[in-house]
Amino acid sequence: MSVALIFGLLVVLMLTGMPISISLGLTVLTFLWTMTQVPIESVAMKLFTGIENFEIMAIPFFILAGNFLTHGGVARRMIRFATTMVGHWYGGLGLSGVVACALFAAISGSSPATVVAIGSILLPAMMKAGFPKRFGAGIITTSGALGILIPPSIVMVMYSVSTNTSVGALFMAGVVPGIVLASMLGFTTWYRARKFDYPRQPKATWAERFKAFRESIWGLLLIVVVMGGIYTGMFTPTEAAAVSAVYSFFIAVFVYKDLGFKDVPKVLLNSANMSAMLLYIITNAVLFSFLMTFQNIPQAMADWMIQEGPGVVGFLLIANILLLAAGNFMEASSIVLILAPILFPIAMKLGINPIHFGVMMVVNMEVGMCHPPVGLNLYVASGITKMGITELTVAVWPWLLTMLVFLALVTYWPPLSLWLPTTLGMIH
Amino acid sequence: MLKILDRLEEILISLLMAGATLITFVSVVHRYLAGVAIPHLQDWLLSIDLSWSQELTVIMFVWMAKFGAAYGVRTGIHVGVDVLINRLSDKNRFKFIVIGLLAGAFFTGTIGTLGARFVWENGAHYAFLTARGLATGDLPEGPITPDLEWHTWMVYSAVPLGSWLMCFRFLQVAVAFIRTGELPHHDHGHVAGLEEEAPPKPGEEDRIYRMEDDLHPRDLHDGDEEERK
Repeated sequence: MSVALIFGLLVVLMLTGMPISISLGLTVLTFLWTMTQVPIESVAMKLFTGIENFEIMAIPFFILAGNFLTHGGVARRMIRFATTMVGHWYGGLGLSGVVACALFAAISGSSPATVVAIGSILLPAMMKAGFPKRFGAGIITTSGALGILIPPSIVMVMYSVSTNTSVGALFMAGVVPGIVLASMLGFTTWYRARKFDYPRQPKATWAERFKAFRESIWGLLLIVVVMGGIYTGMFTPTEAAAVSAVYSFFIAVFVYKDLGFKDVPKVLLNSANMSAMLLYIITNAVLFSFLMTFQNIPQAMADWMIQEGPGVVGFLLIANILLLAAGNFMEASSIVLILAPILFPIAMKLGINPIHFGVMMVVNMEVGMCHPPVGLNLYVASGITKMGITELTVAVWPWLLTMLVFLALVTYWPPLSLWLPTTLGMIH
Repeated sequence: MLKILDRLEEILISLLMAGATLITFVSVVHRYLAGVAIPHLQDWLLSIDLSWSQELTVIMFVWMAKFGAAYGVRTGIHVGVDVLINRLSDKNRFKFIVIGLLAGAFFTGTIGTLGARFVWENGAHYAFLTARGLATGDLPEGPITPDLEWHTWMVYSAVPLGSWLMCFRFLQVAVAFIRTGELPHHDHGHVAGLEEEAPPKPGEEDRIYRMEDDLHPRDLHDGDEEERK
């Protein structure tokens, strides 16, 4: 009964188009006011204590780092490095796009940011080199989604915050699936390029490769700092994020000189704007999951699932469909924050590994970002290419199909995500 | 007057962002440098206690989040589910957008008031009376934070202050929308063709969250434009 009321109210409020954070908050407020005796002041304080958590602070730090890195210098050098390595194969610049996205994803925690950084430089270059617009747009939209699978990842931080799993282990679990997805997208690119005989780049010499590597070393080092730092336990993920923010500021302003000092306040303000928006959703989602726990909803659903339930295989299928459906209406962080607290307890009861479940959710979010009506990547790519959403949707489908195959693989083959963190001893 | 408030808001959240980053960075560097045996320097570093840095970072970010959320209303960055209402006629969309903005104002106003009451009852009242030299009776002095030992009512006052500001911003946006039919959002109509498309200019990174992508309601004018075409 209360389940239907809570979700009914939430859905109605959301469909009116008000911000998701406000709909979450109003649902909680309405419910507590009319149905329960919970002291209502405690709700206001939950808005503070809900994000009084050092782990969450990785999000603003990663956003700040990402915004310092989006200005070309790092992305351009990574693209050049990728091109010298794989540009002479079928697919040429398209293939370097996939590799460059994967590399950039390893220093950025956001997918749309990866699309912007790599796409705005590579797409014009691809058109000049004679690739059809659709080909390039399809590659960048989907490869950009690697941003949230390959660590660091803002969406992973959100998942670990709402389910109390280790951010570090989740980050490590994203590495192998990220590389596999990049290879699969690369393969699709290679296959289509061979079929339609798209241009290839001249083969680079080892000297050129080394030079490109040396030029991109500052960006590549950041991967070592973040991943190495977290793995060796030198930093917590939040500290790694703060270090990477300062490091990216340093390379953007002093090494590559993409930014002047006068630009820094604007970058800070915009990072604060994005972070505050996400943190505001988090606080209200914390309220919402407090309400659900208070009403014992996840527990009841879990029990029902176990009794009537379709078992692990069926549950994973339902979870995937639900997440993909949600991807049609909402943006990734909101989906994770609303659905993780509901699905997670069920997954635990069914004995699914929390880390594996997290990776699966992230891959679902990636797919959601690449298809209409609300895929953020799609809109960013449309902004860069000036292609309409409908045309882009057609352009994206070969790679989107690849991603769906990959989603099935991640869902039903846990070792893919669990092998690395287990080998490193981060989960037992 | 309003311009000053706008500027203050922007400066405050930028400074909090920069400050929290620097503090966390310095405390990490400090932790490792203090482990290196350099005479004098090590003693000096060991004498500095930075154990409060984590708490301060969290407090700064919460303040940043509260006031940044208010700033976000002004820039139109908050995402919603607008798939449905973006397909409605201008007249109906107008109604829904106004309802949404007023709901935002109502929620933040309520939270602000609830938060204020909480802050008042948990130390602000006591502090107010003490400051004026009055007897406090059996009012609680209120708890303090574990590391910095600040009064929590001061720290928590971010909730009422930030929420009220956010409420004000929602009303401001609602009034402007009723008058002009425009919502705050990033104008990317001027972005030039593919050849000139460059990475975002500094300070425009957040445009990826501010596009007309069914995560935000559309202006009334967009509909007019489509009709004209």
